[in-house]
Amino acid sequence: MRALILIAPTLLALAGCATVQPWEKGKLAKPEMTFGGDKLDTRYADHVYTSREAASGGAGVGGGGCGCN
Amino acid sequence: MTTSRQPPQELAASLLAAALLLPGVQALADEPPQNGSISLRYLDYADRQAGLERIRAHSPSVAVTAPVASDWSIEGTLTADDVSGASPRYHTAVSGASHMQDERKAGDVAVTRYFRRGTLTAGAAYSTEHDYVSRALSLNGTVSSEDNNTTWAFGLAGSRDSIDPVNHVVVDEHKRTVSVLAGVTRVLTPNDIGQLTLTRTNGDGYFNDPYKLFDNRPRSRRQNTVLLRWNHYVDATGGTTRLGYRYYSDSYRIRAHTLSGEYVQPLGGGWSVVPEVRLYTQSAAYFYYDPVYDGTLGPPFPPGFSSGAGPDRLSSPDQRLSGFGAVTVGLKVVREIGKLWTVDVKVEGYEQRGSWRLFHDGSPGLAPLHARMFQVGLTRRW
Repeated sequence: MRALILIAPTLLALAGCATVQPWEKGKLAKPEMTFGGDKLDTRYADHVYTSREAASGGAGVGGGGCGCN
Repeated sequence: MTTSRQPPQELAASLLAAALLLPGVQALADEPPQNGSISLRYLDYADRQAGLERIRAHSPSVAVTAPVASDWSIEGTLTADDVSGASPRYHTAVSGASHMQDERKAGDVAVTRYFRRGTLTAGAAYSTEHDYVSRALSLNGTVSSEDNNTTWAFGLAGSRDSIDPVNHVVVDEHKRTVSVLAGVTRVLTPNDIGQLTLTRTNGDGYFNDPYKLFDNRPRSRRQNTVLLRWNHYVDATGGTTRLGYRYYSDSYRIRAHTLSGEYVQPLGGGWSVVPEVRLYTQSAAYFYYDPVYDGTLGPPFPPGFSSGAGPDRLSSPDQRLSGFGAVTVGLKVVREIGKLWTVDVKVEGYEQRGSWRLFHDGSPGLAPLHARMFQVGLTRRW
């Protein structure tokens, strides 16, 4: 419930933004503006933090487990 | 002099058509990769605490992405982790630390089908260590709005792990997880894009660390994350800020906050630099016990052990389940060589301390953990 209270305003804020036209998206198409990033770099970071901290995940689902944690 | 005039509708249509021809301006809707790529990356990781060099890992990996026909792509990665060193058997006790050497091999493959306004990706992952095998399957998808300003994401994944520790404290144990994901990515302005992702993982089975003493954890774990990300293009510098915040909670009653930020600054000549910082804080699991031991038996026995507190009660002396804060700082340098090659080098330092926990006191009596990471990467497109 508490999470919903936090998330709902964010959803409303995201949904309420003005429409950006296709010809205005040149900067958004730059690689560094995407959320994916370097896949192997991200994979290393996830693996290191998962093996040293209790929290994990958040950006995706589908990776396997390991004996490191 | 004569001037040709276009009706407003025709002019708008022409502008739109011209804009759509520019690479990437349909931003947001996932499109099949126009080129294939192969990436090689190597990680050298080492961590230590006062008086103990702990874990060292060397991890080469390779990733390949290739378009197939016009509406499909396939990607896969292979990683080999050569891990060795020592790990405390309880808390951060140097005496009696367990020494280990292992090689982990991991691979995954994903096939994506692209539709006019969405994608569907099926993936499989497999990894093996001498005492641990993991198998995972996943299905992820996206759906974009007609104007490509909003993309909804959904995902479902499951894993099944087999655990056979070499000390035989358990034999042929298993752990299963099911994860679901829902998210939305939204173009906010011509310079801003935001993303909200929720995940839930239900896990059942063996969660203990078999190499730690008195580590007896619940056989189920429920994990929730809320991840907010925001990328902003800075007109004045041509750079990009990439900010993220993750809230994590689980049925161990661990609550964690992660704040991360990096700034990508192109320098010209194909060079760019990316400084980064990450702040992390977590509370302790409800069954974690501080390094205060049984009054009669001493370390590593948990308090009350000699007076008959059940040996099967939940407990863990694992530093990773304690309350602490952590800071990472790093710098990545990237060089694009022509349109086909990219080389990068990245250095990071990480430190974890009980006293750095935010909002509350951290767990006392543990040695700080330091880690350093060095990466080098090479990508070739075709």
